[in-house]
Amino acid sequence: MVNRTAIGWIAALAAVAAAPAVAQHSDGDHQPSAAKASRHALGASAAFDAAGTLWAVHKEGAHAVVRHSTDLGRTWSAPLRVNSEPEPVAADGDARPKLAAGLRGELYVTWTRPLSKPYTGEIRFSRSLDGGKSFSPPVTVHRDRQEITHRFDALAVGRGGRVFIAWIDKRDLEAAKAAGAEYRGAAVYYTFSDDQGASFNGDRKLADHSCECCRIAVLPEADGGFLLLWRHVFPPNVRDHALGRVDAEGRGGGPRRATFDEWAVDACPHHGPSLAADAGGRLHAVWFTQAPGREGVYYGRLRAGGIEGGRRVGGDAAAHADVAAQGERVAVAWKEFDGERTRLRAMLSENGGDDWSNLELGATAGPSDQPRLLTRDGGFLVLWNTEERPLEVVSLP
Amino acid sequence: MTCVRVPAAWKRVLRGGIAVLLLAAAGAVAAELKPFDSGSVNAIRAAQAGKPFVLAFWSVHCPPCREELAHWGHWQGRHPGVRFVLVTTDDPADRELASAVLAQHDLNRVEIWAFADPYQERLRWSVDPKWGGELPRTYFFDAGHRPVVRSGRLDGVWVETWLAGQEGAGAR
Repeated sequence: MVNRTAIGWIAALAAVAAAPAVAQHSDGDHQPSAAKASRHALGASAAFDAAGTLWAVHKEGAHAVVRHSTDLGRTWSAPLRVNSEPEPVAADGDARPKLAAGLRGELYVTWTRPLSKPYTGEIRFSRSLDGGKSFSPPVTVHRDRQEITHRFDALAVGRGGRVFIAWIDKRDLEAAKAAGAEYRGAAVYYTFSDDQGASFNGDRKLADHSCECCRIAVLPEADGGFLLLWRHVFPPNVRDHALGRVDAEGRGGGPRRATFDEWAVDACPHHGPSLAADAGGRLHAVWFTQAPGREGVYYGRLRAGGIEGGRRVGGDAAAHADVAAQGERVAVAWKEFDGERTRLRAMLSENGGDDWSNLELGATAGPSDQPRLLTRDGGFLVLWNTEERPLEVVSLP
Repeated sequence: MTCVRVPAAWKRVLRGGIAVLLLAAAGAVAAELKPFDSGSVNAIRAAQAGKPFVLAFWSVHCPPCREELAHWGHWQGRHPGVRFVLVTTDDPADRELASAVLAQHDLNRVEIWAFADPYQERLRWSVDPKWGGELPRTYFFDAGHRPVVRSGRLDGVWVETWLAGQEGAGAR
């Protein structure tokens, strides 16, 4: 451990030329309510609607804004504000506004609105029923209104058009603290709507003891259920991943362990997993660990009790991978800093993750968001929101 | 939450006021946060040449980091020969909050820096290409500047042992 780190250190000292510090800046007076806003909050999401228009959501000041593109992201429309009243929008690290399309052209947007106390937030929801011309005033989807953690929203539309939202919630931690009891981590809660987001079905708990600050992966299933993959805290403090299911009736099923790196740590990785299913129903996942001897990003197929076809993704600096699947094709995209630039890299499998080819998709010399994979007509695209090239969309071959 | 709209400028004043109150409550002087860029780690090492030191990265958005802050002042008090360098990784927008949190702890003898480059990957690489961004992240340098790295909340017994081991080995 010591030696490896020392080598890394020396490499770092050799590789890095002293770069000028970028001056600290304020948010400026024109962004009145963006108390926690940053110009570098690049978190963005995108989805295709049923007609093939690509929609993206990102943050501008104290607003979630959507843009659309009819040429696969080469050009984008002007931004349209989702929340007309300004409010804080979380869009850095593993937090980003989300967008999903309904079955009949509806557009759904969620984000986390940070509240004044650290780690606190509310999960906000807005919809457009007029093809993205206007959005409803945002609502908070959970009934619990304590100023505590409700953060890291995940959004998906299910087979019957069900709008499904999950998030990290600390109400059980707070209750345990008030009772003087111990509680590991946070919890995964969810709610859903069967009326296009007009109403939600209450706050439901999927699992106790999730990690506190990592994105949740949500995958709609063919039967109307949803699979969720998240970083968990297994006893006593093992931050590997758990897989849970919400069935078509909306009932949550007990989580099972999905990854087995044995990363025992009390830390905030800010580095959540991703999940996809191929035509055969096999589950493909990517995740990050710093378990001793296994530091890095990994790909593997999830099966009960173990990982199949597991392999390392990228090099030591690989980060924030995403995975998608169509038929037997599986794509993984991630970013990787090389000492000077952040590279967008990918690997592609034509046979369900058994064999892979590597792809170099681009690079940027400034701040960048996590890459997000999109599927379209059997192919894959990557949304990569960088400061240099906002909302860039790159096609995989 | 109330629905009273507070003008942005007032909010800044109020936030600043809260920070000042916390500072006063802690009886501490506002810590100057030195800007940490991709050359800073070299500057810190040069300043500590031949001496052991601890380089610790934290964030206001990381609960175990904030638990850890309570220990740094204590450890510094018990081991004055080892320099403690804390680096706040938060965005400049959270700098006031970070200052307020720091002011709640007795960190007068601890050197405090703050990330000053929005290109965080570059900063992390300058520290350690193997660092995935998890927090807290702590590097223990002996007098020969051989680092031992730890992710996550530290084992206090281990830290005390390491610190004691530096006495007479460059620490003074």
